[in-house]
Order: sequence, then structure tokens, then C-alpha cells
Amino acid sequence: MSADHTQAAAPTALWRVRVRLASRSLRENWSLFLEARIGVIGLAVIVFYALLAMAHPVLMNTVWEERIYDPVVGYSFDETRQPAPPSLSHPLGTDPLGRDILSQLMYSARSEFLLGLLAAVVTVTIGTAVGAVSAYFGGVVDMLLMRLADIMIMMPGISVLIVLSALIGVEHFELALIIGILSGFGGTGVVLKSQALSVVVKPYVEAARTAGGGHFHIILTHVVPNLLPLSFLYMMFTVTSAIFSEAVLSFLGLLDVRMSWGLMIHTTESAGYLLQVAEYWWLIFPASLSITLLCSSFYLVGRSLDEVVNPRLRRR
Amino acid sequence: MNAETVLAVDNLTMHYATRAGAVRAVDGVSFSIERGQSLGLVGESGCGKSSIAATLLKLLPDNARLVSGSISLNGVDLVPLDEERMRAYRWDRISMVFQAAMNSLDPVYRVGDQIVEALEAHYVTARQDAIERVRELFDLVSLDPGFILRYPHEYSGGMKQRAIIAMALACEPDLMIADEPTTALDVIVQDKILREMRKIQRSLDMSMIYISHDMAVIAEVSDIVGVMYAGKIVEFGPTSDVYATPIHPYTRALMSAFPSVKGEKRELTTLPGEPPNLLDPPSGCRFNPRCSYATDECRTSEPPIVRRGAHWAACWNPPGEVRS
Amino acid sequence: MAKYLLKRMAQILLTLFVFLSLVFFIVNAQPGDVSNFYALNPDLPPETRERLQDLFGVNEPLWKQYAVHVKNTFTGNFGISFSHYPRSVADVIKERLPRTLVLFLTAAVFSFYLGFALGKIIAWRRGRWVEYTSTVGGVALYTVFTPWFGLMMIWFFAFKAGWFPIGKFLDPVLWRDAPVDANSVFNRMILTAIIVSVAVFAVFLVTSRKRASGARLIRAASVAAAILAVIVVWLASGAATYAWDIVRHMALPVITLTLISFAGTMLLTRNSMLETMREDFVMAARAKGLPERDVRDKHVARNALLPVVTSFVFSLAFAVDGGVITESIFSWPGMGQTLVSAAVSEDLPLAVGAFVFVGIFVLVAHLVADVLYAYLDPRIRY
Repeated sequence: MSADHTQAAAPTALWRVRVRLASRSLRENWSLFLEARIGVIGLAVIVFYALLAMAHPVLMNTVWEERIYDPVVGYSFDETRQPAPPSLSHPLGTDPLGRDILSQLMYSARSEFLLGLLAAVVTVTIGTAVGAVSAYFGGVVDMLLMRLADIMIMMPGISVLIVLSALIGVEHFELALIIGILSGFGGTGVVLKSQALSVVVKPYVEAARTAGGGHFHIILTHVVPNLLPLSFLYMMFTVTSAIFSEAVLSFLGLLDVRMSWGLMIHTTESAGYLLQVAEYWWLIFPASLSITLLCSSFYLVGRSLDEVVNPRLRRR
Repeated sequence: MNAETVLAVDNLTMHYATRAGAVRAVDGVSFSIERGQSLGLVGESGCGKSSIAATLLKLLPDNARLVSGSISLNGVDLVPLDEERMRAYRWDRISMVFQAAMNSLDPVYRVGDQIVEALEAHYVTARQDAIERVRELFDLVSLDPGFILRYPHEYSGGMKQRAIIAMALACEPDLMIADEPTTALDVIVQDKILREMRKIQRSLDMSMIYISHDMAVIAEVSDIVGVMYAGKIVEFGPTSDVYATPIHPYTRALMSAFPSVKGEKRELTTLPGEPPNLLDPPSGCRFNPRCSYATDECRTSEPPIVRRGAHWAACWNPPGEVRS
Repeated sequence: MAKYLLKRMAQILLTLFVFLSLVFFIVNAQPGDVSNFYALNPDLPPETRERLQDLFGVNEPLWKQYAVHVKNTFTGNFGISFSHYPRSVADVIKERLPRTLVLFLTAAVFSFYLGFALGKIIAWRRGRWVEYTSTVGGVALYTVFTPWFGLMMIWFFAFKAGWFPIGKFLDPVLWRDAPVDANSVFNRMILTAIIVSVAVFAVFLVTSRKRASGARLIRAASVAAAILAVIVVWLASGAATYAWDIVRHMALPVITLTLISFAGTMLLTRNSMLETMREDFVMAARAKGLPERDVRDKHVARNALLPVVTSFVFSLAFAVDGGVITESIFSWPGMGQTLVSAAVSEDLPLAVGAFVFVGIFVLVAHLVADVLYAYLDPRIRY
């Protein structure tokens, strides 16, 4: 490796080394990920919904007239009976209030992604912080955080959200925050802590400590980067539970959101079409299938990543 | 010594199918053991010693394939037997003390019950009689019978080892295979257990195959010894002969890699290089890349057998030997 | 054992305390005080409102309110429900808690048993096809949008096929002039279930030392005898039709809840089995000449059970959520449905009361699972 010599002569920035190492392991892991076909299917579904979400504003600005296709206040004037079955102008039909289902579906996809991302970021930020701090400091800090985690693990998330929705108006932001707190201080924090425990005993952490590195400097530069792969994995599972919780709550009519997949089924239910599955399938299937598909796709990607990150599960 | 042959293995070949191709873990191995005899199998890790043990019991992973050969136990060939008939031979006729003996006891059952289970798999016995038998076995391996109804985690490493040996003796097998049973133990316990195993094996007139990478251990427990390299037996013979006048350069290398307490002072030599990749073993003699005596013949064709009575080796140019 | 139990009890009590504090904190973090919820409710007569204000002590300092809150919880005093006025929250919960317990426990036992048995078989018969179908099917059931799945079950099995009633706890037409009331029939059903399960468990325990084949025979016989005895006793009591009506209403929610929760156990059992199969004691069990079935059931599955139980404990909260959703889909009048309808109708006292009980339920389930785990793993000694 002649390249190493030249680089040793001129000291490279630490971040550059990191990026190079990260990209190399990313490439290796990517090929491992591709081997598990199930994860790739999940990824394809996620990409499909992401494209749907991105296409919505484009369609609204070009071919779809806002008066008719707005997911919340639109009304299809050309149909005589609402809900109308699928037609050329409304590929997935209209809902009992005369709104276009496909438009609702695509519009909601975007908020589902935003919600999932927000919940995942909150979860992983809290979880990584809890894991790193708990493993690094140990003692009382660890004890307190882990007892808190015990309580969080025992909290049935959806029930908590149901009660909270009776107390305060719960919107996407609050929802993401609550899920993030429950999971970050709970399960995710515990898993990341056990991973962090194996990091803090590594010689380079000891070396950094001997060299006089501050606690937070060490946690940020040595512990946290080593937790990132696992954190990323847990983001996937958080997205699943965030989308699922949102759907359940808005299905029950407990969420203050403009439009979402769960709300679409709620509308169907309050209009009394819930048990006419065969006759009015487009009122139930598109939204329900979307929730199921997107949830399971994130879950499948998470599982496949787990097999990549976690060598214990890797197939030989 | 009477000449009743307990086990005769002939041209045994076993491959593991892997993504990269077939790994020839056991390649044309032949040997036989008489009643009351103890065979030591020695070689570096990965040379196929443990694979032989697994093959004899036909306890092979899914990707393993018995390619050819026969395993004849008291005149019955085990190779064509189906699972159900093979089951009757396991433990009853051939028992085994595993490499990681520490982990061969199921943590959720009492040790006594695990031995009883082995007995019940082969004989119809009342529980009371079975426990009585366990008591005898515990006596035999110098374990306190008070521990019969204890769980494995309550045992020390040496005790677990003794319990496993007791379990292996439960059905009075014709042959006991011991696969590096003492490597995880400290030296003192190891030595003690070795001596006791040898004593028990002699007193029960049972045959034993003892597998180890340690020449010193093999010297202590075996009557005959087989030296394995890359899936083949390269040297075989009575222990005293092999240790006194080793033929194969590999045997010599193995012996000089272990310190001798009694003999004269000498440099310990380490063998250069790595054991060969069994996916694609070297042609000719498999030891040739690491052998300082290697010639062109060694690299191209299979080595011939050099015999000195019961003692033989597969080598083209045995050092200090004039080729006939 | 007693010491361990005491320690766990203390921990659980402490957790409960923190939990109640959290609930109190959340309720009080609202603008205004709790009585606002009452004040704004036009259904309540003014004297009741004042009594409630006294009960909640909203005019007292915060710490005193907190003490009252904790005291009220421990004495089961959650105030008056709006939506069930004038019934007290405690009264509503007393009626609904057993219904949830029965639904949830039945589904939990079924799903655990089913998931474990299937996971065991899948791990043993490895092959691309079986592995693929089970993983895909398992994940699909695990991540399916539960309300939709429940709905499809109702639509197909109750609405189209007509095999089961559509939701609810009982058929009002049948019960209109029944000589017994639903709650007493239901309580007798619970009693029956407890007696039968204790008896069957005892038989299993006694036969665990026996040889596998003999034990299986005795167990099957005892289960059959128990079922027969139950049928005879209920027919003799004359309430069988009514009990059967409740069972019929219970069937579909139990099946749904079982289906959505067994997959997690199944996938986990499979993984755990595959890991255990690599252990040396499994090889030793084979070498001992045990039949494959014994190797699988007595050694691999028995050890693979331990991590499965652990994670079952961790997924309890998840399962409770599943129960809440299932109950509200099937209008099964249990705690979950109560929680949801209280939240929808902004019946705060009932929602908080129901939530506290859901929390207590999870805590107790945790304790039970811990004890069970300690019993299963001899390495844990107290």
C-alpha cells in the first residue's frame, strides 16, 4: 500500500480517514445487504412510496386541479355519487366526501415519512446519548438511566398516546416526540448501552482518557461514532412503530392531523362503509395496505441490516 | 494382548460442501483398533482430527458428505446404516467426550438426569436402578455422589469433565472417543484426569481414541498413535516406536515444537508456514510446501508408504533413511 | 425464592410509584387544573362538581394534591366517569377488568404456544421454502395494520361467513330474559378456567419426570377429561347457553389477537433454536443416541425457550397495545375499549383510571414472567 506512505507523511484530517473507512465498510455492508433479498424488497417499497410522496406536489401543480384534487378540501364534481369507484380521472376512486383517494394517499405518504424520520431522529439521539453516557460513566448515572429504561419498556406506547390525546391535542410533532422519548429512554437506549459497553473497554478509549481527553470529547469522538451503525438500524424499527402508532391513533380519531392513511380509514368508518369491504374496497384497501406495506418494509430493512451489523445472525 | 479388532476404518473420505467448493476434511484415512487399545490422533488444529470423530458417530453437519470408505465396528459396517439403526450404536457402542466438554452438559437439567437419559435411550431401566448406576459411575470417576442431583453450573470445570467421562462410560461402550477433552482445564487437573481416564480405560478393557494437538498428552494416554496432516494420516505406529524414531518430517517437527522435561536441552523449533487450505490442497505430498526435505517428487505425486514393522509413514524421503 | 419475590415486589411497587407520579405530572402539566374538565362538562350537576373538586383537592397545594392522587389510586378512587355518569370509574373498571384479563390471557397463552411450536418446527426443518414462507408470513402478521386485520377478520368470518357474531360481548336478544346476569356467568367461567388450568398444570408437572411417550398419553388423557368435566358441569348448571354465547363472542377477538402476536414469538423461537442448535450439548444429546424428537424438544427447544420468554416479557407492552386495538375493533367491553372510548369522549377520569390499570397490569405481568423465568432457568437462584 504505497498510498499509506504519502498519507503518513502529510497528516490527513481525522474526518477524512473516518469518511474513507466508513465508505469502505459501507460498500462491504451494502453487498451483504443485497444478498438478503428480503431487505432489498423492503427498500424497493420504501423508494416507491418516497416517489409517490415526492410526486404529489408536482401533480398538484401540473395536472391536478386543486379544487378537485386537494386531499382535504377538494371535491370531485364530475361524479354523481360519492364515494365513486375508480375511474380514469380518479384512479383509486373518491371517498365518501368526494375527495380523490390517490391524492390523499400520496399527500399522506409525505407526512408519514416526515413523522417516521422525526421519530427516528429523536429516538436515536436520545438512545445514543443514554447508551453512551450510561456505559461510559456507569455507577449511579447508569443505575438511574437503566431503572428509567425499565419503566419506559413497560409503557404501552399506544395506550400512553391515547390517554395523552385526551389530555392535550396530539399532532405529528408531539407523536414523534413521545415515541422518541419512550423508545430512546427505553428499549433503544438499553440496546445501544450494551453495544457502548463493548466500546468503552476498547484500548483507544483508555488511551484517550490517559491522554487527558475530556469526558464529553471522548464520548463524542470515540463512543458515539461506534454506535452509529446500530443506531441507524434502530431508526428503521422506530419508523415502523411511529407510522403504525400514527395510523392507529388517527384511525381511532384521536389525532389532530389534516390527512393521513389512518384518517382515511377513520373517514370510511364514520361514513359507515367499513363492513362493505367488497363493494367499496377502494375506501379501505389503499390506505390499509399502504400502512402495512410501509411498516413491514421498514421492519424488513431493519431486519436485514440487523443481519449485516450483527455477525451472530449472519449466514455463513 | 488378544487381537480382537474393535474398530476398523478403511479408506474413509469425508467432504464438507461449502460455497467455495468441497473441503476435503478427511481424505482416505485407514486404521484399526483392538480391544483395550488406545489410539492417539495428533495434529495441528484443522487437520481433520475432530472430523474423524464426528464421522465415526455419523454426527455430521448438513453440508458434510461421506464420500467413501467403511467404518466397521465389531464387524458391522456403520456407513450404510440409517439414522434409526445408527442411533442404537451411538453411546451404547461408541461414546464420545467432546472437545468443549464444559458445554456438553445441558444447563437446564441435573447432571444425574442427563446420564440417566443416556441410559434410558438404550435400556429399559427403572429410575431407581439408573440412579444406582450413576452412583457407580460417579465413584469410578471420583466424583462426590452428592452432586448427582445438582445442575451443571454448580460444578467446577474439572468436575464437569469427570461427569462427562462418567456419562461416556454409562453404557459400557466398546469404544470411547475423547476429543481434546482436557484442553480447557488447568494443567494439574488436566494431568490428573488424563491418568484416571487411562486407568479406567485399561481396567474396563475398553478401546479409546484420544484426539489432541499435544504430543505430550498423546504420549501419556495412547498405545498406538496416528499423526494427521491435512486430512490424511501421515504416520502411524506403536507410540514408543513413533516417539523414539519418527519417520515423517512432520512428526519430527511436531515433536521438536514441544519441550521435553526429561531429555537433553534443545532449541524448540517452530514449523514455518500455515496448514494447507483443504479446498485446494497441494499436489503430491500435502506437507511439501512446509517441508525442508521436499523434492520434485514430493510436489508431483502421492508419497509411498515406508514401513518398519507395525510402524509406517507416507513420505518420499524420510530423513535419515535410505530409500530402497 | 421468597426473598427474590420480595425484592421484585419492592421494585414493582417503586416502578408503580414512579408511574403514578408521571401520570400526575402529565395531568397537572395542563393549563388550568383537573376540575376544568369537570367544569366544562355540562352533564354534571353543580353539587357533583364541587364534590369532585374536593375529592381531587384542586384548591390544595400541589404536594397535597399529589398525595391525594396517590392515595386515590391506591384506594381505587378515580372519581366519577362522565360518559357512564353516575357510575364511578372504579365501578366501570371493576366490571371491565376481568373481561380484558380473560381475552388477553387466553390470546397470550395461545399465541405463545402456537408461536413456540411453529418456530420449533421451522427451525428444525430448514429449507429455503419453509424458511422463506414463514419469515414473510410471520413479518406480514407482525407488522400488519392491526385495525385493518381485525376488520378483515370480522368482515370475512363474521359478516360474510356468519360463523361468529360481529363484535360485542354478548347477544342482547338472548340475554333479555336470562335468569342470570352476564357478569356472574362470566365470573363463573373465569373460575372454571382457573380450576382447569391449575389441574392440567399439576398433571404436566407430575408427569415431567416420566418417559416422554407415557407422559404424552397421560397429559392428553387429562386434558380430554378436563374438557369433558367442564362440559358436563356447565350443562348441569343450566347456564351453558349463556356461557356459550360469551365464548362465541370471545372467539374472534382471541383468534385475531393470537394471530397478530404469535408471529413475533415464532420468528424469535426460530432464531433462538438455530442458535441453540450450535451448542455442544445438542451434539452431545445426539451422540447419546437420543431420538431426534427428544433432542429437539427436551434439549434444543427447552434451552431456546429462555431468550424467548425474556423477550416475551419485553414485548408485553406491545402486546397490551395490540389488545387495546383489538378490543376497540371488536367492541369488546374491556379496559382497552374503555380507554379508547374514554379518550374519544374526553372522559378524563375514566381514561386516567383505565390507563393506571393498564400500567398495573403490565407490571404484574412482568412480575409473573420474571418468576416463570426464574423457574425455567436453574442458573437463576434467589
